[in-house]
Amino acid sequence: MTSAYSSWLIGGALLVALVGVVTAIRDRPMGPVLLAALALLEVALLVQAGMAVAAIGRVEEKATFIGYLAGTIVIPPAAVWWGRAERTRWGPGVIAVAAFTVAVMTGRLLQIWNGTTP
Amino acid sequence: MTDGGPARGDAAVRSGPGRVLVAVYGVFALAATSRAGVQIATKFAEAPLAYLLSAFAAVVYIVLTLALARGSRRVALVACAIELAGVLIVGTLSLADPAAFPHATVWSRYGSGYGFVPLVLPVIGLFWLIRHRKPAS
Repeated sequence: MTSAYSSWLIGGALLVALVGVVTAIRDRPMGPVLLAALALLEVALLVQAGMAVAAIGRVEEKATFIGYLAGTIVIPPAAVWWGRAERTRWGPGVIAVAAFTVAVMTGRLLQIWNGTTP
Repeated sequence: MTDGGPARGDAAVRSGPGRVLVAVYGVFALAATSRAGVQIATKFAEAPLAYLLSAFAAVVYIVLTLALARGSRRVALVACAIELAGVLIVGTLSLADPAAFPHATVWSRYGSGYGFVPLVLPVIGLFWLIRHRKPAS
């Protein structure tokens, strides 16, 4: 896990959230674009988790850190499941919430990782 | 062949925008539970009151997530009211007596650490639940 990689990840997650909001505003259900974006996000999150676990020794608050890490990995699949269940504009609405949550949680991960917890 | 009685829940509460509410509450249930869990497990003695409040907030969020997801209107209404009261009382107390809340809870300073979402959420929740009141239930 590096600051640069996680920063890109935060940007990507925010982009997915934006696509979700736009899709919801256009009153469309989840389409292949959102599905692919969430899949990509999940792969990126798994890579981040791999890098983080490989160097977990440097982290002080291990319990919180691992909790956030697990949370980020679980959220995109849950969002996909939800997007498929709710075939209205509110499916992408949930996806937007989920992607934004991933962005915030990755931000917190980065703070803990760098030891800059406020 | 039920017509959506109380056992089955109110579908209007949990579909459409209700799903977004469930998602947000789910996130908060997760966040509050893990935060309270870590606080109580690792440093309970530092601020028992704040950490117990954290745990209480977590329980309220879990109840709300489940009630909204199942469409249990009455439970959700009560939990929303408790949540609103909680964030207002804890928010006020944390400003009036910061010494009692040396460590942040979800509801400290009206949830400023969480972008004031904890303050806005119960209002949206109550609005959503009341707007979807079933006529003559």
